[in-house]
Amino acid sequence: MFHFVRRRMLSSVLPLVAVLLGVFVLARLTGDPASLYLPESATPAQRAAFTERNGFDDSIWQQIADYFGGVFQLDFGESLRTGESAATMALRAFPATLQLAGATMLIAAAGAVVIGSWAAFRPNSLADRIASFLSMTAASVPDFWFAITGVWIFAVGLGALPTSGVSDGMLSWVLPVATLAIRPLGVLTQVVRGAMVSALSAPYVRLARSKGAGSVRVVSHHALRNAAAPALTVAGDLTVSLVNGAVVVETIFGWPGIGKLMIDSITGRDFAVLQAAVLLTAVTIFVLNIVIDVCYALLDARVRETATV
Amino acid sequence: MSPVSDPRPARAGGRRRRTAVSLVLSTALAASACTVANSDSVTADGDALRVVLPEEPPTLEPCEASLTSTGVVVRSNITEPLTERHPGTGELEPKLATSWKRTSGTEWTYRIRKGVTFSDGSRFDAEDAAYSIDRAVNSELGCNVEGYVFGDTDLKVAAPDAHTLTVATPKADPILPLRLSFIEMVPTSTDAEKKVREPVGTGPYRIANWEPGLRLTLATNKRYWGRAPAYGSVDYQWRTEGSVRAAMIANDEVDVATSLSPEDGAGDAAEQYPNNETTALRMQVTEPPLDDRRVRQAINYAIDREGIVGSLFQGKAKAAAQLVPRGVVGYNESLQPWPTDLAKARRLLAEAEADGVDVDRSIRLISRTALFPKVDETVQVIQNQLNDLGLDIDIEMKDTAGSTEFQERPFPEDAGPYLMLIQHGNQAGDAAFSMDQYLLSKGYQSSGGTAAFDRKIGAAEAKTGAERQDALAEVFADEPDEIAQYAYVAHMYGVIALAPDVRYRPNSATGDEMRLAEFTPAD
Repeated sequence: MFHFVRRRMLSSVLPLVAVLLGVFVLARLTGDPASLYLPESATPAQRAAFTERNGFDDSIWQQIADYFGGVFQLDFGESLRTGESAATMALRAFPATLQLAGATMLIAAAGAVVIGSWAAFRPNSLADRIASFLSMTAASVPDFWFAITGVWIFAVGLGALPTSGVSDGMLSWVLPVATLAIRPLGVLTQVVRGAMVSALSAPYVRLARSKGAGSVRVVSHHALRNAAAPALTVAGDLTVSLVNGAVVVETIFGWPGIGKLMIDSITGRDFAVLQAAVLLTAVTIFVLNIVIDVCYALLDARVRETATV
Repeated sequence: MSPVSDPRPARAGGRRRRTAVSLVLSTALAASACTVANSDSVTADGDALRVVLPEEPPTLEPCEASLTSTGVVVRSNITEPLTERHPGTGELEPKLATSWKRTSGTEWTYRIRKGVTFSDGSRFDAEDAAYSIDRAVNSELGCNVEGYVFGDTDLKVAAPDAHTLTVATPKADPILPLRLSFIEMVPTSTDAEKKVREPVGTGPYRIANWEPGLRLTLATNKRYWGRAPAYGSVDYQWRTEGSVRAAMIANDEVDVATSLSPEDGAGDAAEQYPNNETTALRMQVTEPPLDDRRVRQAINYAIDREGIVGSLFQGKAKAAAQLVPRGVVGYNESLQPWPTDLAKARRLLAEAEADGVDVDRSIRLISRTALFPKVDETVQVIQNQLNDLGLDIDIEMKDTAGSTEFQERPFPEDAGPYLMLIQHGNQAGDAAFSMDQYLLSKGYQSSGGTAAFDRKIGAAEAKTGAERQDALAEVFADEPDEIAQYAYVAHMYGVIALAPDVRYRPNSATGDEMRLAEFTPAD
């Protein structure tokens, strides 16, 4: 397993560098930050000084070399907007996004397992059809619409929840997590249902039933374990997309996460912060992918054996 | 005994692992449900005024106060200028200076208020005033206020004694006190080489706590020289969505929500006010076919301003005939917006085409996302009206940095003909600020003009009093005939929402300079 993890880590290095290079170059194609940060009366000398101070006058290769040199020394540069360390800003914002993504996926996965298994247990029944309809609807709801509607119904209309922000403890989580969870819940429910329908009709399940295993045991000990692999794959992708920045939710609910930080950095041509945020999320996503692969190996002996060869 | 044998030997260990994982996840969820990372879950105290803004100030550097997101928090709250312009009358009023007068053709002398201290306890005097002006205008810091108010002009400042300040300009400037009212005073201990993020000032409030990304709290400055403000502290938050800001008012989460639009749903809490902003379509007068005045006039005749104001802005705006609204020195009362006359517009376009102007050339219509409420719809309506005229218009919406490239000199080369939907706010109260940037042939935001028209602007700006008003008004009257660089669209309104227990009268400066001392609890 150790070799498997090491191999996955090594194979992640190249894509990570490619991502960083892509962001580095593309960010600089979006325009000159001087026009944003200097007054319109700035003289050519002032513009040149700004460009030189921030290293934008160097060749792109020199800038890339300086950037990666800085990364190896854990120097990620300073924010043009705030003057703060880019790493500090990214590290400050990231845990809030991780918390949000974690809570969202826990709820979505738990809900999907229960609803998907329940629906799969009696395929094509009324319950199954209702579950399928609702899960498809959930997977299709635009999060922006859901968020604003949720604010006006549950916060303004019923007064049961805060509209936004993070200062109301547990209640602050309800609308952002619900908004983020609804789509993964819908998608995962469909995946779990499909996998469970196959699993429940498999020979080993029929054997278990013939030996007198109860419904709950059949589902939880036999079918669900075998249905977990495809669900885990999809859940992994969904988690990655959440970690990558729940931009809409963070923006609407004033959640101080990395998605909002990245958007602000792009609009503010704040290259150092953007690069630090992308590096942090990219590393996390690569780690997540390794964790998912390890989970996959733990769930499936065939994968485990291949991995240890 | 299990009905089906499990192939794995370490079954008990597997159960323990699952239990442990479940425990960890449950704990994580429970912990998550209480506190968001990096938030101290501070709530405003009962004496606090709670304000929600559309965006977090990137910095509170006083010399960046002409940036809306910075100025709305800093100006006259944390730091103060020498004089303040009354938003209603336009008159300058004493603040950290008690009087000022012109002492020569190019020099003004200020008497500095005695007994003023900064929030850090240091005394404010003329040295600080001189330092503040020098730092903002003459330094290499690249302060926004320098470009917005002073352009290329450097100032000579001196403090002959602790309570006297002299400021001189290279050539006579009759509105220098108005320009200086944009400079916030900071102590001489403020960094001269680098912009500061959290300044010290003389204002009624000081920065108490700033949690980046979350909230900013101001506390009263116990050393404040003036009357103490009604609220003991101010708690700022920021939400991008206008409807969420309005919902925060409805849900009693904040007392003040700014920068709303009529359809955000603030209901009875919403108050509308003329905000000094004017929207206009700037035409690149150097690029064919926009270099032909008949084409520019045709565009003016094709735009249905009343329709835009009535349908898109719900009547909460006023069709515009000039770049500044009523209340600004130089506003011309007699000017009427261009009438909508599509037939006449088509005739002008046909005449230009007959003279060889390539009116079929594609024209870009550029604007900035979120420039003002309904900007997307406004751009689409204008595109539709100009397409009806017979022009080929392509919309391009850009972010701030992207649009700045096209809005300010030096303009991009080979950009082709383009129309720029802009919004200009004259918070200074004098049309000279607008004309220098938008009408002079080499103005930072002007696409062109003529030497003769530049001279006319210069002559008008050199006048004072009633003569100045008339001369500036005449410039606006002559612009459509002599240059026709703009198709003015509307003088805009702002919307602010207030909780029932808060009293405040919004004014034309509210969007840029929200003076917290003017907020009081309802009786």
